[in-house]
Amino acid sequence: MPIPRILIVDDEERFRTTLGKRLTERELDVVTVGSGIEAIDEVKHRLYDVIILDIKMPGLDGIETLAEIKKINSVIEVILLTGHASVDSAVEGMRLGAYDYVLKPCDIEQLLERINGAYEVKAARDERIRQAEIRKLIDRSPT
Amino acid sequence: MADEGKNSYLGLRRYIVIILCAAAAIPLGLIGGTIYYQYRNSISERVTTQLTSIVREHKEAIEKFLQEVTSAMRVVTQLKTLNDLRNRDVLQKVFDSLQREYDHAFEDLGVIDAQGNHLAYIGPYDLLGKNYRGAAWFKETMEKEVFISDVFLGFRQVPHFIAAVKKGKGREAWILRATINAARFSSLVENVRLGRTGEAFIVSSEGFYQTQSRIGNRIMERAPPGSFDLTDFAGVKFWEVMGKNGRKVLRAKTWMKNGHWLLIVQQDDDDAFSELYATRNRAIAVFIFGALVIGMVTFLTTRLLVRKIERIDREKNILDEQLIQSSKLASIGELSAGIAHEINNPLAIIGEEAGWMQDLLRRPGLKELEGIGEFRDSLREICQQAGRCREITHKLLSFARKMESVVKDVELNRLIEEVVSMREREASLNNIKFVKNYQKDLPLIYSDPSLLRQVFLNLINNAIDALQKGGEIKIETVLDGENPVEVKIGDTGVGIPRENLKKIFDPFFTTKAPGKGTGLGLSICHGIMEKLGGRISVTSQVGEGTVFTVYLPREH
Repeated sequence: MPIPRILIVDDEERFRTTLGKRLTERELDVVTVGSGIEAIDEVKHRLYDVIILDIKMPGLDGIETLAEIKKINSVIEVILLTGHASVDSAVEGMRLGAYDYVLKPCDIEQLLERINGAYEVKAARDERIRQAEIRKLIDRSPT
Repeated sequence: MADEGKNSYLGLRRYIVIILCAAAAIPLGLIGGTIYYQYRNSISERVTTQLTSIVREHKEAIEKFLQEVTSAMRVVTQLKTLNDLRNRDVLQKVFDSLQREYDHAFEDLGVIDAQGNHLAYIGPYDLLGKNYRGAAWFKETMEKEVFISDVFLGFRQVPHFIAAVKKGKGREAWILRATINAARFSSLVENVRLGRTGEAFIVSSEGFYQTQSRIGNRIMERAPPGSFDLTDFAGVKFWEVMGKNGRKVLRAKTWMKNGHWLLIVQQDDDDAFSELYATRNRAIAVFIFGALVIGMVTFLTTRLLVRKIERIDREKNILDEQLIQSSKLASIGELSAGIAHEINNPLAIIGEEAGWMQDLLRRPGLKELEGIGEFRDSLREICQQAGRCREITHKLLSFARKMESVVKDVELNRLIEEVVSMREREASLNNIKFVKNYQKDLPLIYSDPSLLRQVFLNLINNAIDALQKGGEIKIETVLDGENPVEVKIGDTGVGIPRENLKKIFDPFFTTKAPGKGTGLGLSICHGIMEKLGGRISVTSQVGEGTVFTVYLPREH
């Protein structure tokens, strides 16, 4: 079983690092960044399975970042972190392709559940993509 | 405060009553006054004309009478010679026929020669042989041929006057003289009857009454100087004087007999105007009655009006209070949402840090540490309390949040039954019974079912909390005419004290022990009902229970 690669994007430095440590403790491969720009940069250079994205951030906010990320790599699953007041934008985010949203402050178990769910979805899709590609290769190969 | 309000309503009432009464009474008075003035004028004119014409008629009649008497006497002198008349029998015959003709107006009849000797006489007195040469009337008759004297007493001490005509010239001249009973002559004017006090009389140019007057003056009595204007004038004069008893008297007068006699017709003012005064009194009565009716109508109308205003004010005050309550809630909502949002981040960090510490404690090396149990306990408490804080901030945020609501047709009875059944099992464990009384044929209402569910769940939870162990929760839906649909949720619990009743919709107000409730439930319900266009109200009696009523608009 491969380890899911997680990117945490939050402007609260202490929150993201601690959450990162806790997820690492639960055997996930975690990287944390503090802004949307950095997140986009990160996604461009490395492969991630699940991104935990705070909606309220200075500069590029979560929804804009989400749109950018989906443009770069549409198969990454994104879980939005939101305060209650921005549930509307969380719903908007899901319309843009986010997997789910979690209310802040979040319960670690709840978050893990969502991460697993998102990862499974992505893994299954990756698997289907892989199978399709294999079929494509087989179809193309001379018999 | 209430007294002040009452006074202001009283003031308003007085103000309106005065204005309306004045508006009604002033034109009424003006019209009445004008009509009265016009009427008085026309009556006054009529009285004047009446008096004047009476004066004229009587002047004519009297002058005619006097003229007739003198002309009759002149005819006698034409027909009979002096010698004829000296015969007592002839004179008697003439006298008798004159009496017949003039209704016994004559007292006597005599013949006097140019020297003033009384030659013949018919009458009750013995005047034969008397000489009148020095008498004023004799001289005047000799000069003017015809003479009528003023009324005087003469030898007989009975009011009378003399009519005399002269025949012939110089030494041959003789005079036929008659005495006319003044009383009989008087009757010519005394018969004038005009109302109650109208009368006519004659005054000589020297100021002596020539006829009796009904006010008690006797013939030959002298009128007090100044009581009549005895200056000469032509035609008829009309004027008003103050009578002896202080009453106004209307008089018309004219001179006759060449300025010797003044004929006066007079009537008391209040008699002449009696019809006017009677009409005036009736009009005043009508006016007073009308004023009373106007006053009463005004008073009643005003009372009705002011009561209506009072009621509207009261309703407005209640509405204002509700408005203040909702705007207060709205601003509190905004404020608390802001705070909750800001607190959320530190809270998240606290939660994460504590969680991380818990994670660390699970590492093998740390498991054997001394006092690790208490350490872990503390961390659990931190996590738990952070969790509680999170719950509060989430509820606060949901109270303030503008959620996109899903509005659709809702079957209210079914929705309530759903919510009730959610709690029914658990409640029955606490010996709490639900009594349901749903109105049949409730129309579909157009609302947000999830918000409604939240409201009803909250109210039912409160009811269960109020009952604690055992009791009844009464759920009722009511449809009454066109009014909003009512949902009543009542319990037979401890009730809410009066002083708390006003505060129960305020955020964070709770009577529950710390940690048991956030005090947000009812304020959220209030906010939801506001949003749905309905409202929520409460009645409560300590010891008897509480009833929450939710009003839902039914129009789409």
